[in-house]
Amino acid sequence: MASARILAVDDSPTILEMIKTILEAADYEVITAADGAEALETARAEKPDLILLDVMLPKLDGYRVCRLLKFDQNYKDIPIIMLTAKTEEQAMATGIRTGANQYLTKPVEPDTLLTAVAEELGQTPG
Amino acid sequence: MSDDFDRLSKDLSVEEFARFRDYIQRHSGIYLEQTKLDSLRISLITRATRHEFKSLEEYFQLVVSDDDEFRELLNLITINETSFFRFPQQFDALRNTVIPEIISEKSDPSRTFRVWSAGCSTGEEPYTVAMTLLDAGLESMGWRCHVMGTDVSTKALSVARAGIYRGRALQNVTDDAMSRHFRKIPEGLQVSGNVRRLVDFGYHNLIKEPYPLSLMGDWDIIFCRNVTIYFKVESTRRVVKNLFNSLNEGGYLFIGHSETLTSISEDFEAVEIDGVFLYRKSRSGRRTQVMTDVMAPQRMLASRAAAADQHTLEAPGPSRQERPLGELWRRDAEREEARRAEPVATGADPGHAVADPSAPTEAAEPEQEDVATLLEGARVSVQSGGHAEARAALGSVLERDRNNFDAHLLLAFSYADSGDYELALKECDRALAINPLLPSARYVLGIIYQRQGDLVRAVSELKKTIYIDADFVLAQLNLGNIYRSQGKFDAACRAYQNAVESLERSPGGSWMEFMGGFDADLLARTCERSLIECRKAMGIA
Repeated sequence: MASARILAVDDSPTILEMIKTILEAADYEVITAADGAEALETARAEKPDLILLDVMLPKLDGYRVCRLLKFDQNYKDIPIIMLTAKTEEQAMATGIRTGANQYLTKPVEPDTLLTAVAEELGQTPG
Repeated sequence: MSDDFDRLSKDLSVEEFARFRDYIQRHSGIYLEQTKLDSLRISLITRATRHEFKSLEEYFQLVVSDDDEFRELLNLITINETSFFRFPQQFDALRNTVIPEIISEKSDPSRTFRVWSAGCSTGEEPYTVAMTLLDAGLESMGWRCHVMGTDVSTKALSVARAGIYRGRALQNVTDDAMSRHFRKIPEGLQVSGNVRRLVDFGYHNLIKEPYPLSLMGDWDIIFCRNVTIYFKVESTRRVVKNLFNSLNEGGYLFIGHSETLTSISEDFEAVEIDGVFLYRKSRSGRRTQVMTDVMAPQRMLASRAAAADQHTLEAPGPSRQERPLGELWRRDAEREEARRAEPVATGADPGHAVADPSAPTEAAEPEQEDVATLLEGARVSVQSGGHAEARAALGSVLERDRNNFDAHLLLAFSYADSGDYELALKECDRALAINPLLPSARYVLGIIYQRQGDLVRAVSELKKTIYIDADFVLAQLNLGNIYRSQGKFDAACRAYQNAVESLERSPGGSWMEFMGGFDADLLARTCERSLIECRKAMGIA
C-alpha cells in the first residue's frame, strides 16, 4: 500500500511529536504545522492526503482552517479529521458546518486515531 | 570528612559567592540571597569534595562546562531552601493529628511538650513549629512548650536568633499567621516575642557523637528534614539511630517530603497522615495502622542520590515491590496534586487518612475550601478546553489571593492553549515571581519562545525547567528537538537520551498535564524514535 502523506496540525510541539510517532509507526509520512495560518500554507503547498486538525490553534482556529479548505474546489476533497476537547462538543455543530469528515475527542487512543485515518483514506471497508 | 573539606569551607569569598550566585541566577532563574550563603557553601563543598577538587575555582569551571554537574548543584541548593511552613501539609498533620495523639497518650506530670528541629538553618522551621504548637492550643491547655533548633552553621544560628525575615522565606505564611506571629520592623518582619520565647538555638553537628545529654532524650517530636541528604548512607544510619534513641516512645520523626528511611532504619513505624509520611517510635504494646513502606517521589530520589550513596538509595526496598507501580504513580500524582493545592491545603481529606481515621481533623474553612474548589474546577476546565469558565474561576481566586501562583499558572496554560502567547508569558512571569521553582511555568515559557522562533530563549527556559526538575521529560524532548533543528546532533542525542532515562526513572510528574491525554508509553516511544533518527542524522552528517 502506498504510504499516504498526512498533515498534522497542533500548536504543541510535544503532541505533534507523539502524533508523528503513532502515524509513522503505521508507515504514514507526516508533515506538521503549528498554527492555523501555517496549516493553510502547508496544505496548499504540499497537498497532503489527509489533515489531522486540532481545534485550538493560534492565529486561525481549526474550524476556520477547515471551512476555508472545504470551500475551496482545489482542496475540498482532502479528508479532515478534527481533534476536539470535551467541552467543545457543543461547538461541533459549528464544526459540522465546516465540513470536517470526522471528529475525535481528546484524549484520543492511538488505535482510534489510526482507525479513523485508515477509514478516511479508504484503506478499510466502511 | 577530610582536610579538603575544612580548607574549602573557608574558601568562599564574597566575590566567589557573587560569582556562583550570578551564574546560578542567569542559568536557573533562582536568586540566592545573602542569607543563603551557608546553604550555597555547603552545597558547593559537598559537590567539590565529591570531585576531589582542591579549590572552588576548579569547581566553578566544572559547573560552567558541565550541565549535569550544574543540575546536581542546583538540586542540593534548592532542597536546602528553607521557608516558613515549608510543605504546609506536614504542619497540618502536626497540628491536627500528631499533637492531639501525643498529648492524649503522654503521662507527664510536668506537662512539657518538647520538639527538636535538627539542622534548623536560619530558624524558619523551629519558629514554624512553635507557631503550630501555639495554634494547636497547647499552652491554653496548660502545656509548657519548648522548641530547640540546632545547626552546624553559627552564622545561620545568629540569623535564626534575630528572627528577622524577608522575601521568599515568608512566601507560605498566610495573612492570618502573619498578623498573629510576626511584627513589622524596619529591617523586615520579625517573629513575635510570644513565639520566640518558646524557641532556643544551639550549635550541634549531627554526625558528631556522642550527642550532648541535653539533646539525648525526652523529645516528643524531632524534625530533621532534608538534612540527611548531605551525609553518606552510613552516617545517615547513625544519625537516624541517634534521633530514634532521643525520641520518647510514641514520638514522631519528621523528615523531608522527598526523603525515605527505606534501607536507612527499621526502627520506626512509617505512618501516613493525610498524604504526609511520618515516622513514629512505637510505644510498647500499642500499634497504629502502619504502612509497610514510605515511597518518596521517585524523581526526587535522583537528587538524593546526588548527595548520598547512590546504590543504597536507589535500591528498591522489598516492600516497595509489593505495591503495583501504577499505584505508586497515582499516589505520586495525588501528592503532586496536594502540593499544588498547598496554599489552600487543609489536611482534612478523609480519603488520605490511612494512619488514624479516628484522629481529629479540622473542617476546612469555607473560604479556603472555595479557593481549592475553584482551582480544581479551573484545572478541569482548562484541560477540557473550557477556557471562559476557567478564567472566570481563576479571576475570583486571584481576587481573594493575588499571590496564588497556581491560579497564575493555570491562566498561563489557558492563554497558551488558545494561542494568546503574550498573555500566557505574562502569567508565567507572575507565577514565577511568586514561586521561582515552578518547572511547569518555565516549560510553558520555553514552549512559547520555541513557537515564536526565539530559540535562544526557548533553550534557556527549557534548561531552567530541567534544572528545577531533572526529570521533566517534555523539556528534555523539546530541547532535543530544538538542537536537532539547529543541526546540533550531539546535544540533541544527549537530550533525547536524558529523556529516555528520566522516563525509565520516573514515568510520572507534573509534565503529564501537557500530554494532551496521551500516555507515558507513547512518550517513551517518541523519545526513542527521536533518538534513533538523531543518531541516523549524525551518521549522515
